[in-house]
Amino acid sequence: MSGDRITGAFVGLAVGDAAGWPAARHRAALHAPWSRRLHRELDAFAEEHRVTTLPVPFALNQPTAPLAVGPSDDAEWLAWTALTLSQDRVRAFVDLSGRDDLRARISVTTALGNLRGGLEPPASGHDNPHFFDDAAAVRAVAFGAVGQDPTRDAQITNAGDGVLGARAMAAAVAEAVSGGSAALAVEAALAQLPEDSAIGVNARAALRVTRKAGGAFAAVPALDAELIDHVYSYAVSAAVTVPVALALAEVSGGSLVEAVPAAACLAAVADSAPALTGALTGACGGYRVIPEGWAASARRLAGCCLPELAGRDLLDISEGIA
Amino acid sequence: MSLLKDRARGCLLGLAAGDALGAPAENMEPAQIREKWGRLTEIEGGGTDDTEYAIFAASLLVRHGHDLTSDDVADAYRREIIPAVLGPMKGAGFSELGTVSALRRGLEPPMTGMIHAHGWSDGLAMRAAPYGIFCPGDPAEAARLIEQDGLVSGEGEGINGGRAVAAAVAVAMSGAAPGEVVRAGLSAIPQDSWTARTISRALPLKDSPEGLHEAVVIRHYPWTDLAPEAVALAFAAYLHGDGEVEESVTYAVSLGRDADTIGAIAGAMAGAGRGEAGVPGRWAERIGPATGKCLPVVAGKHVLDVADELARRL
Repeated sequence: MSGDRITGAFVGLAVGDAAGWPAARHRAALHAPWSRRLHRELDAFAEEHRVTTLPVPFALNQPTAPLAVGPSDDAEWLAWTALTLSQDRVRAFVDLSGRDDLRARISVTTALGNLRGGLEPPASGHDNPHFFDDAAAVRAVAFGAVGQDPTRDAQITNAGDGVLGARAMAAAVAEAVSGGSAALAVEAALAQLPEDSAIGVNARAALRVTRKAGGAFAAVPALDAELIDHVYSYAVSAAVTVPVALALAEVSGGSLVEAVPAAACLAAVADSAPALTGALTGACGGYRVIPEGWAASARRLAGCCLPELAGRDLLDISEGIA
Repeated sequence: MSLLKDRARGCLLGLAAGDALGAPAENMEPAQIREKWGRLTEIEGGGTDDTEYAIFAASLLVRHGHDLTSDDVADAYRREIIPAVLGPMKGAGFSELGTVSALRRGLEPPMTGMIHAHGWSDGLAMRAAPYGIFCPGDPAEAARLIEQDGLVSGEGEGINGGRAVAAAVAVAMSGAAPGEVVRAGLSAIPQDSWTARTISRALPLKDSPEGLHEAVVIRHYPWTDLAPEAVALAFAAYLHGDGEVEESVTYAVSLGRDADTIGAIAGAMAGAGRGEAGVPGRWAERIGPATGKCLPVVAGKHVLDVADELARRL
């Protein structure tokens, strides 16, 4: 197991998180509520007047740091997982369940409500409209980094494809931090994804169309056509984001600088697919291959989902578990 | 008129009435509904996808009977639904839209119901009544048969919701008391399921709209078409009304959320139990032939004719 590769997985995830356009939306949570209200009003104005340039975070006299390139939700939830890794997982989530200052995926918010109402895992993750999302897959990067099974953690907030996605991510990261290639990491992930599951079907389809396209950026339209739900754009469905990450990691040979920008081009899944892609390729290449400017911008957490993490350095946190 | 034919007519008329009555209350809070209507008792406009998809499901049963398979259902989507979807598919639920995408992608059931993220939709529960009509007194067969439909467009809790309603209607068709009807619905699904848990939490709170919301509504989710929620609210409303059509349906739509579907499910169970005469005449007068606004293939069909067609095959 390589400390450089574990740090690469963590900071790689944060780089991907920062590269996707939704990071700016999440980071805007650090501004005053009126700025987001004005954002909504300006969106309506733009719609009414058919002008195209208004919808940006409105930030008059607000702190400027959240407007810079930087990490958001996924980096923070990974950091939280790493910091609580030694705790009983249910206890760690129960400790969050009474708080009203968090921002989290629908799966996590619902699971916290379920835990508060006395529903235990696996029901807490199962009786959950977004049981299929990739919240647990993001957390699974921490479990993969230390070679642990993420299932028990995943079942608290997810079920079905959401849990399978976590297992696949953990398996791939575990393989990569042990020195495996991107191809071996993807193989390890596929072994966790049954062929009769939606995530299993999508993962194999993603690999097929991406290999055919021959490169990460070249595969963007094919991935969009094959995987993205154009009926209702579920941004964070594990059955889509994990397969995208696996396919881009494989076709790029584990190159973060090729794979992450391609993932960020898939606008519908740009909230988490770049982050998962960054985690996989960061684990393959190690921290030292991450461009210095990106690492510097992505390491420092914003506190937009878990306020106590504001200012924490993900590099320190990952070295803590390495 | 035979007893079963009368119950079949009551069932689909109750479904159509609940759908039409609830449509304007969809996505509203109980307090908003009380403020706007007091009690919403008069049908204002037409029905929605609940009625049209129920008519479509009935046509599958008329054609294939108890031999109906998922492949038959998928074929019907390909031949009768997809060719009519030229632009946006109006009035359809997420699960049906997702299924159309999956079929266009070349997938087969059950993957067509698994590949999209709307497996828990109440789209199967809303069209479950014909399966219950078709299997009077045989809830296990009603549940088995609707699962064939469900595997095309749903997964997991969406199929559970459909099974519960089909089984309940099958038992209501035999004239059983409401408590027995609801027990039959619960018996048709795994006890370790989201739907069974919401139904069990809802029933003791059946007389309190706010209590029901507290017990089954997912607070931090923007959509209301979750089968575990809609089916639990419909069962509670049906028990609250003691199986009487007007009381069950008006209470069902007073709960808001997916009010047209909750009303349609409660109306189908109550109508099956009480027969055509159990549905208020002023409601029956407002139910015309389907317009086909959601499913062009069913345009012009009236639920009473559909009920007669199903009854002829019993």
